[in-house]
Amino acid sequence: MGEAQKGLLSVIEKLKGSTEQEVRIVLLGLDNAGKTTLLKSLASEDVNTITPTQGFNIKSVASHGMKLNVWDIGGQRKIRTFWKKYLDNTDLLIYVIDSADKKRFEETGLELSELIDEDTLKGVPVLIFANKQDLATASSASEIAEGLNLHTYRDREWQIQACSAVSGEGVQDGMNWICNNIVNKKK
Amino acid sequence: MAEDDSEWVVESIVGYLGSPEWVIPVTDFMENKCTVFDDEDENKLSYTEIHQQYKNLVEKLLENYMQDVGINEQQFLDACTSPFAKSKTLQSVFQPVLATDDFQIFRSLMVQKNMELQLQALSVIKERNGALPECLTAGADVMTELQDQEMKILQEVLRKSKEEYDEGIARRLLLEKEVGSTSSSCSDKPVAESREAQNTTSAPSQRSNTAKAKAEGKGDRSHSNGHHAPLVNGNTTTELNLVNSKPAKKQESKTAAPAGGDKKSAAKSSSTSKPTPDCGGNVVESKVLPAVRAPVKSGEPSASLSPGTKEQSSSPTAAEAWLEEAHREAGFSKPYTELSVSQQEQLQQRAAYLRQQRDKLHALKKEQQKPKQVTAPEEAPPTTTTTPEISAEERKKLQKRKHLADKLKEEVIKK
Repeated sequence: MGEAQKGLLSVIEKLKGSTEQEVRIVLLGLDNAGKTTLLKSLASEDVNTITPTQGFNIKSVASHGMKLNVWDIGGQRKIRTFWKKYLDNTDLLIYVIDSADKKRFEETGLELSELIDEDTLKGVPVLIFANKQDLATASSASEIAEGLNLHTYRDREWQIQACSAVSGEGVQDGMNWICNNIVNKKK
Repeated sequence: MAEDDSEWVVESIVGYLGSPEWVIPVTDFMENKCTVFDDEDENKLSYTEIHQQYKNLVEKLLENYMQDVGINEQQFLDACTSPFAKSKTLQSVFQPVLATDDFQIFRSLMVQKNMELQLQALSVIKERNGALPECLTAGADVMTELQDQEMKILQEVLRKSKEEYDEGIARRLLLEKEVGSTSSSCSDKPVAESREAQNTTSAPSQRSNTAKAKAEGKGDRSHSNGHHAPLVNGNTTTELNLVNSKPAKKQESKTAAPAGGDKKSAAKSSSTSKPTPDCGGNVVESKVLPAVRAPVKSGEPSASLSPGTKEQSSSPTAAEAWLEEAHREAGFSKPYTELSVSQQEQLQQRAAYLRQQRDKLHALKKEQQKPKQVTAPEEAPPTTTTTPEISAEERKKLQKRKHLADKLKEEVIKK
């Protein structure tokens, strides 16, 4: 029965029949990491009027002949329990870190490792954005990678990218990695 | 053969998607759940839950349908991806099915449904009431009106607070000026006190003025008035006292004298008319001090208690009026300080003359008041008759009253 349901869903998925390859990307991270700012930056929208996300935002971005459906889900502690509901059929996980918020590095590391252990995200590539590099107190991407023990991830592709969602610096580099990676994986 | 097959399947599917078996449950679901869907950019977490419920509903419906008709998923898929099914007319029919997989489609369907329901509700209200209530019409909202009012109030408050701030600054400047100019004299303190006293009398009235003034222009005018009045006041009184400080002093002693004469009336008048004359008396008195440079502090408390201060309280304003009158009579339009020496002398002479006239009037009034003060205790209740200072007239009256009361008593007791 469960198999049949899965089949039906996949049938409906194929119904759309678009020639474009669709990619489902989930954008996660602690509150105030800059997820929504990054999302709006990706969609070339105004980043000056962003308030803490209580629910979630979705943007579809066309890149490298693919349609990237990016889901940005609020990062406040009480919302994090809902993250699991959005992980099904995810092609790629983007995890955003506030590089200047050293006090919460441990907290963000714990949340990331929990996500990595999720069954639904098994083998799903991870892109980590070391955001807020425009701030003077920001830690470098390599420092954060070390702190998060990223080198121990053996079961998936991963990448850490320094960026500033506000200025847009480094964001495109990250997107390029995503597209290359997805193309490789799907083929 | 296969094409015919898919065509048949597509027609069947389209037929099913138009039948009550599909339409009723799906529409019911949408109408029940659409109320939380608004067209905000951000999605609520509850949307996902509702989307999941919708997925379950559609899957169940389609499974039942496929079982009933006897087609499998592959046939269903083939039919739906056939060119016939992709025609534009059928795209909208397939929207509710596609919505299971695509949250964005689902969301837009729900938002649309919500708006439809709201419009229906509006038309229902319109039909029932003939017209829409004001709060539901577009454009001129009650809310915006309220906001307008709130903005007006806020602006008024801001304006007032600015005025008060300006006033405070001006007052401080004035105070500094005054202290600086009289610092050579021995009586700095009384001046400051008098300044304060004057401020307390002028400030509240000013505030009430500005509070009353709703139009901005009016508020500004009263504001400037309030500022200039004490300035002129202070200048004129000190100048006048410089010239003829003697009559002023004499007045004081005069007003102080009757205070001790009749305690009862003094107490009475002071209790009823204390606040305003008190300040007024202080103002005049301490004004005199720096000018004459002679500490006459002894007269202060009793003078302020005396009934004579009632008249004296009017002296600052009166002096101002005299000077103004003198100004007008002399035909000078310039402020006092800008006049030449001869003109100033002229004015001072005029002021002195007016002051003499006023003293005469004052004396006359006092004489008139004396008999009044004698008769004043008449109005006092009989319980105060124990005091020794009762006139003969009064005693007679009291005796008459007692007699009357006794008679009444007798009559009541007898009967």
